[in-house]
Amino acid sequence: MTKIAVLKFPGTNCDLDVVHVLKTTTNLDAEVIWYQDFRARKFDAVVIPGGFSYGDWLRAGAIAAQTKAMGEIRVAIDMGLPVLGICNGFQILVEATLLPGALLSNECGYFVCKWVRLRVRRPRGPWLILLEEGQEIDMPIAHGKGRYYIDEDTYMKIASTSPTIEYVNENPNGSSFNLAGLASPNGLVLGLMPHPERSAEEELTPRGKIPGGIYIWKSIELSLKRGW
Amino acid sequence: MPLTQDEIKTIERILGRKPTQEELAMFEAQWSEHCSYKSSKLLLMWLPTKASHVIIGPGRDAGAIEAFPGIAIVFKIESHNHPSAVDPYNGAATGIGGIVRDILTLGAKPIALLDLLYLGNPKDHHANWLIRNIVKGISDYGNRIGVPTVAGDVWFDSSYNRQPLVNVACIGLVSKQKIVNDKPEPGDCIIIAGNDTGRDGLLGSSFASRPLSSDTDKDIGAVQVGNPLMEKLIIDFLIELVEEGVIKYIKDLGGGGLTTAISEVMADHNLGAEIHLDKLHLREDLTPIEILVSESQERMLLIVNENNLDRVKAILNKYEIPYSVIGRFDKSRRLRVFFKDELVADIPAKELAKPHVIRRMYRPPIEALKGLRDITIPLPRDMQQAFEMVLSSPNVASKRWIYEQYDYEVGIRTVIKPGQGDAAVLRLLDGTKRGIAIKGDANPRYTYLDPFRGAANSVAECFRNLVAVGSEPLAIVDELNAGNPEKPTHFWYFARMVKGIAWMCDELSIPVVGGKVSFYNENEYGQQVKPVATIVGVGKLVNIEKAKSMDFKEPGSYIVVVGITYPELGGSEYLHTVHGIDEGEIPIPRPVAELKCAKLLQKLMKHEALLSAHDVSVGGLATSIAEMSVQGMLGVDVDLSKAPIRTISRLDELMFSESQARYILEIHEGKLNLVLKETQDLGIEVGVLGKVVDNGKIIFRYLGKTIIDMDLQHVHEVYTKSLDKLMR
Repeated sequence: MTKIAVLKFPGTNCDLDVVHVLKTTTNLDAEVIWYQDFRARKFDAVVIPGGFSYGDWLRAGAIAAQTKAMGEIRVAIDMGLPVLGICNGFQILVEATLLPGALLSNECGYFVCKWVRLRVRRPRGPWLILLEEGQEIDMPIAHGKGRYYIDEDTYMKIASTSPTIEYVNENPNGSSFNLAGLASPNGLVLGLMPHPERSAEEELTPRGKIPGGIYIWKSIELSLKRGW
Repeated sequence: MPLTQDEIKTIERILGRKPTQEELAMFEAQWSEHCSYKSSKLLLMWLPTKASHVIIGPGRDAGAIEAFPGIAIVFKIESHNHPSAVDPYNGAATGIGGIVRDILTLGAKPIALLDLLYLGNPKDHHANWLIRNIVKGISDYGNRIGVPTVAGDVWFDSSYNRQPLVNVACIGLVSKQKIVNDKPEPGDCIIIAGNDTGRDGLLGSSFASRPLSSDTDKDIGAVQVGNPLMEKLIIDFLIELVEEGVIKYIKDLGGGGLTTAISEVMADHNLGAEIHLDKLHLREDLTPIEILVSESQERMLLIVNENNLDRVKAILNKYEIPYSVIGRFDKSRRLRVFFKDELVADIPAKELAKPHVIRRMYRPPIEALKGLRDITIPLPRDMQQAFEMVLSSPNVASKRWIYEQYDYEVGIRTVIKPGQGDAAVLRLLDGTKRGIAIKGDANPRYTYLDPFRGAANSVAECFRNLVAVGSEPLAIVDELNAGNPEKPTHFWYFARMVKGIAWMCDELSIPVVGGKVSFYNENEYGQQVKPVATIVGVGKLVNIEKAKSMDFKEPGSYIVVVGITYPELGGSEYLHTVHGIDEGEIPIPRPVAELKCAKLLQKLMKHEALLSAHDVSVGGLATSIAEMSVQGMLGVDVDLSKAPIRTISRLDELMFSESQARYILEIHEGKLNLVLKETQDLGIEVGVLGKVVDNGKIIFRYLGKTIIDMDLQHVHEVYTKSLDKLMR
C-alpha cells in the first residue's frame, strides 16, 4: 500500500491532523514518523506538518532544518518523492533552502488565525494536479511568522516557472507579491502557510467557504496511483 | 501570606519540636490559601457535585464526567490573576501551562482551551499594556503546545486596570478505562520529569495569597516563566505512557511545587515517602528550601511501579525529557526529606496537606446597596445612537481581535468556531458524529451588584449557551475570584457567589465537578476588584452536523423571540454605556423558565425547525438580533412590540433589558406553525418579530413606527471593528 510519512519534530503539532485527513479523505496510508526514525526509502511521499518545531527557537524552522531528517528529505527529493511542507513545514523547507525566500513575522505583529481566499497559479506536479490555473479555494491560516519575503528578481523567475499559491482579497501577513505558498518548478516540493488538513472536510468548513485542502489530498492520491 | 503566630504554634504541636527552616517553608507553601482552600472549604460544601455521569468530582487536579458510554471528558479551571498583574505575558502563559498539566494528570489528551479574561479599560495605558500581553501570552503558549483556544469570555472594566483576572480552562478527552487513577503503594518510585528546577516562582502560591504590593517589581521573582516546547513534549510523552499503561498516578507540580504535589498524594493515600532533593535535576545551585517550594513550570510527578521503570525511562529518553527518580513511597505516613544524606524535614503527611479550616466572618458592605437602588433615567433622544453605543461597547462588540490571535483549529475538531455560535462545538473524532459543546461565562457587573443572583445568572447563561448550539448540558467547573477573605465585607461577596452557583446548579440539576478559588484580588489601595464567578460548562451532542450556529441563514425565515422580557435594566450594558450608571437591581434568575426553554429548543432541533439560535444576554434583545444579522450578513425587518413582555413601559427597556431565559431563533419558513404549537404545549410565551431579509438593512419597528433603520454594512463595521480600534 502506498504510504505517506508524516514527519514529527519536537514541537510539531499538526501531525495527527494530517494523518486523519489522509486516512479519511483518501485511500492512502499515513504514519507519524519521529524525526530520528525517518528513512526516505520506506515511503512514497512525505508531509512536514505544522507546529512549532523546537519551539520556534532561533527562527521558525531553523533548528529542524539542520537535523539529519532533513538530509533524508534531500534523499527523498532526489529519489523523486513528493514533499509537502505545511505552515511550520514550509518554514523548515525554506530554512533548509529547498524552497527560496524567507518567512518573517507577520506585518501586524501578532499571530493570526482565520480563513482566507487563495488563488492557484501554474498548478503542476503531484500536489496540485487536480487544480486549474487561476482556481480559487479557501483554507485557514494560523501563524505568527508567515510573511513570505522574496526579492523581485527571484519572484520574476518563479512567476514564469513555478507553481504558486497567492492570497486573494486580503494579504493577511504582508507577504511579498501576496504569496501564500510555492513549489519547486516541477511541483515536486510544495510549501504553503495555509492548512490543507483543516479544510478538507465539510464539517469543519464555515458556511460559504470552499474547502481547498481536499484538492491537495485528492491530487496526491491520484498522482501516486497514476503518476503526474 | 506568611504563616500566622497561631499557625506556627500548631506546627510546633504537630512536630513536637521547633520546625526547621525547610519545614516552615513547606508549611507556608502548603498552608497558603492558594493550595489549602482553608478559608473557602466550608462554603464550597454548598455546591452540588454528584450525578450518575460524574466519574471524578472536586478534589483532584481535574474533574471527569462520562459524556458518552466509556468516553470521559476531563476539565478544570484555574486562575493566574496575581502573576498576570505583575508580568502579564508570562503570568498568562504559565496559566495555560498549569491548566493543561492538570488535565494531563488523569491521562487525558487536552483538546481545547478557554480563556476568561476580566480586563481593564483599553483606553488606560497600563491596562492596555496588560491586555496586549495577556492575550499574547495565551496566544504564544497555547498555540505552541498545539491545543486550540476555542472559546471564552471577555469583559472590560476599569476596576481591573491594575489587577486583571485571568482565568483559563482546559478540556481533555480519554476513554474511561484509561483514566490514570491507580492507587500508589509503598515501594512505588517517585519520578520528577520535565524542566530543570530553578529559582522562579519561589513561594508563588504564597504570593497569590495576599494583596499585590504597591511596588510590583518586588513580586517579579514570584512569577514563573513558561517553556511551551517542554509542555508540548510532556503532552506527547504522557499520551504514550498512558497508551502503554505503565503509569500509576500523575500529579502536576503546580502551586506549592514539590511540597504540595508529594504531600497531597501521600495524604490522599495514607502513605509516607522518603525523597532525596540532591537527586533532582536543577537549573542552578539551589538550597533545599528553594527546591522544596520552587514553582518552576512544566514539571510532572510520575508514580511508577518498579517493574515498569525501565519502560518509562525509555519513553522519556525518546523525547529527550530530563528526569530524576528522587525517592519512593513507604508505609510511614511521614514525608522525610533528605539533602546530601542529611534529614532536613520530617513531617506527618496528613497534617501538612490538610490545614485546619478557618470559619471566616462575612457581612454586606454599604456598597452592596447599589444593587437595590431604583434607577430613574431619561429616554435617550436618539435611540439609533444609543443602539450604536451599546453595539460598539467592548463588552458587546466582537472579540475578534483576541480570538484571531489564537489557533482555534489545531486538532481539527472545531466545528463551531469562535464568533460563530453561543458555544464552541468540537467533534470527538472517534469515527462517530458525536461531539461536545463548551463555553465560559461571567458578568462582573452582576456579581458586583448582587453576588448571589449574579453568579446564578452566570450558570444560567452558560446553560443557555450550551443549549443554543444544540447540546445537552452535563456539568460545570467554577472559578471564584474574590477579594480579601480576612475582610468580612469582601468575604461576603465570595459567600454569596458560592450560594448563587449552588442554588442554580441544584435547580438545573447540573453538577459542579471542579473549581478553584482566587482571593486577595485587590488593588494597591486595598479595594477589591469587581468579584467574579466564572463558569465553564460542557454539553454533549449526538450529531455535530446538527449543531446550531447563530448566523442568520435564509432570507424569508422567521425571527422568533422565546421568553418574557421584563423591565430589568439594572446592571445592564445599556445603563453603563449610555447613561454611565453601574447600579440597580440586576435581572432575576429564572431557573424554571430556563429548563422549559431548553426543553423547547431541544424539541425544535429534533424537528429540524431551527436554522440558527442565540441566547439573549448582555445588550438585550436588540443586540442579540443585530449579532445574528452581522454574523450571517443578512438584514432583518422586525417589530419589537411583538415580543412577550411583562410591565414594560418604555422602548429602551424592551430593547436593552437583560432578562434571563430568553433566546432568539431563526425558524424555517414552513415550520412556524409547528413551532407555535410546541411552545403552546410547553406553556412558553414566544413572539414572532419579523423576518430575515436580503436588503442589507437592519430595521426595528415599534408599534408600526420605525425606530432603527441602519445599513447592515455599517452595523457590521461597528460590531466587528470597535475592539480593534481600541487596541490599535
